[in-house]
Amino acid sequence: MSLADLPLHDMRRAASLDALCGLVSERHARGEATVLLAGGTDWVVEQELKPPRPDADPLPLVVDVSRMDELRGITVTRGLLRIGAATTYLEMRRHPAILERAPMLVEMARELGAIQIQARGTLGGNLATASPAADGVAALAAYDASIVVKSVRGERRIPFSALQTGYKQSSRAPDEVIVAVEIALPPEGSPWIWRKVGTRRAQAISKVALAGIAVRSEDRVVRLGLGMASVAPVTATLFQTRALVLSRPLPAITADALDAAVLSDIAPIDDVRSTREYRKHAAKAVVRGFLRDLGAPV
Amino acid sequence: MKITLTLNGLSREVDLPPLVRLLDALRGPLGLPGTKEGCGEGECGSCTVLLDGAPVNACLVSIGQCEGRAVTTVEGLSDATHLGPLARCFVDHGGAQCGICTPGMLISAEALLARRPEPSDEEIREAIAGNLCRCTGYQRIVDSIREASRERRQAGGAS
Repeated sequence: MSLADLPLHDMRRAASLDALCGLVSERHARGEATVLLAGGTDWVVEQELKPPRPDADPLPLVVDVSRMDELRGITVTRGLLRIGAATTYLEMRRHPAILERAPMLVEMARELGAIQIQARGTLGGNLATASPAADGVAALAAYDASIVVKSVRGERRIPFSALQTGYKQSSRAPDEVIVAVEIALPPEGSPWIWRKVGTRRAQAISKVALAGIAVRSEDRVVRLGLGMASVAPVTATLFQTRALVLSRPLPAITADALDAAVLSDIAPIDDVRSTREYRKHAAKAVVRGFLRDLGAPV
Repeated sequence: MKITLTLNGLSREVDLPPLVRLLDALRGPLGLPGTKEGCGEGECGSCTVLLDGAPVNACLVSIGQCEGRAVTTVEGLSDATHLGPLARCFVDHGGAQCGICTPGMLISAEALLARRPEPSDEEIREAIAGNLCRCTGYQRIVDSIREASRERRQAGGAS
């Protein structure tokens, strides 16, 4: 462990979001790195596990954003759910609007880690560290969320489908601060699934996790969102699977066609948590489970 | 960096590099070694403390993030000479064996009972799901917390 390096970092707070954007921008222009620290459930662990830093390697400035008001809070306005980037998962799962309108997020937040992790972890942090194993990010993929980012150049929204460009890579510019996520809520009562396959109920990083949300009309699915964690270099949005399900009535969807679509959408690997083969098996099984719930004969 | 926080109900000030872990600040300069280090990476829960009432792993919290906040450690659940009722239940019902997980278990239990005075066994198990114990098999811990909830309700909610 390289705990020794942690106390060497300087830490500041910013007075406002504009001041934060200015600071990040100035440092970026000088080639200096800035880490925006929220709950530390990814970044602090990474630092603790890293080998000691070579002397010549400059340290990033850490800015504590965990209590910045402009990055916190949950609102619903005309069917648009907005969650501040530094809002914790525990705050999310206890919020009345989320309990009422986004039950999938409640279940995801409940299973993403134990309560100690829920009380610290944030969507903004998990988007910034950009692990393809992040449960919260898989849920955002299923909701086709937009990521609100801000810099000295102004604010913009990145559609989820345009966010992730490679393993831990994103289309967010280095000087853009993640402000919030926005979700266009599906009609109340829309079928959803959160299915996490992990070693234990709490505190396990997923071997495979599926987030799904569907809007059904008679025997067809007319809107479908899917997100899957830990099966590809980025959060899988299961594009082929979505296209298949939307293309025909539910009774005409076969297990073979569904399995083939899922396999074409993922590229799992062997790692410490699971194997490629098991992940393929689990991915097919959890998608079939959701489609079965929706009425497909799979 | 000078940091002022409320620790077990008392205002305390420390002067430390801001990214020192809350866990190390507690066990070192703040003189409260009750909080234990297990894994040091947010997995085992043995360093659980309350931060503004919510259970967190003190190994993942920076002391600089505690400015103006309230931290409760296991020492805050008892006084200098007497175990608090929750800790007493762990003793009486076999909830503590080797003791490494116990401070974190007590804090997680305290966080639960503060919100849910009469939790189901399933709620107790969920509340301690982030706290690993390699001795008890958990059943005695669940029994201890259930008994503490009963005693607390009989005493009118006081801890």
